[in-house]
Amino acid sequence: MDLAKKQHNVTEWVADFSDGLYAYAAQRVKDNHTAQDLVQETFLAAWRNVDGYTGEASVKTWLFTILKNKIIDQYRKASKRKTDSLDGDSPFFDEGDHWRDGFCPQDWGTNAASRMETKEFYAVFDGCKGKLKEVHSAVFTMKYLDGLESKEICKVLGLKSSNYWVLIHRAKVQLRACLEMNWFTR
Amino acid sequence: MVYPLKKMVMMISCKQAVDFISKKEEGRLALNQRIDLRGHLAICHFCRAFDRQNRLLSSVFHKRPDSVDVTLKAEEKQAIIKILEKAADS
Repeated sequence: MDLAKKQHNVTEWVADFSDGLYAYAAQRVKDNHTAQDLVQETFLAAWRNVDGYTGEASVKTWLFTILKNKIIDQYRKASKRKTDSLDGDSPFFDEGDHWRDGFCPQDWGTNAASRMETKEFYAVFDGCKGKLKEVHSAVFTMKYLDGLESKEICKVLGLKSSNYWVLIHRAKVQLRACLEMNWFTR
Repeated sequence: MVYPLKKMVMMISCKQAVDFISKKEEGRLALNQRIDLRGHLAICHFCRAFDRQNRLLSSVFHKRPDSVDVTLKAEEKQAIIKILEKAADS
């Protein structure tokens, strides 16, 4: 098959795979616009490198591999800009390091667990995750959505383990507070 | 374990307790820190709530299903195809 024909195939893949790629990216980057850009870049990269596609993996797997690398690049960029997220006091605690008024964990009621794992809950969850700083969101996503070990995350993002630790901790504390306000005590 | 009252009085702060709760989840909490945390949780209902909620959240975070209703609009797909065709012309 000549190159032009192969490249034409890539155009056809847009119909088959763009939604799946987009849904995957949208969960992992800071906004839908960025997700859309990454999908576009994925197809463009596939188009340019279509000669390198050996057919060993399925087209879908190949495209997802390209997309995943682009997402990691986004995370790395966010991680390089992280310095400001590592210092500064938490808004949750007062001078005595006790819960600040208005930030104390509230009672979520006895049926909190049964109200989760619903579409509505995950919509609120996505909104809360979207409010995190990009680097917080990145480590959170790698740990919980992709199930990566902390060692792996540090390696990929070039983080010291102490920095990773601060980032994942802050991400979780902020997410909890956001979910409490917008879901559990709403 | 019999624990000296004096030590019980020198409690860790809520901020430290919350740090310890995260560390515990990562399996990074030393034995003496575990004891300090337990002492704090025994008297602080806010941090007890935090601990319970944190465990609940951690258990569902990784179950986030893939969104099926997040899709690109037809014109957005068309725009991608246009970019590819443009690349073909150049």
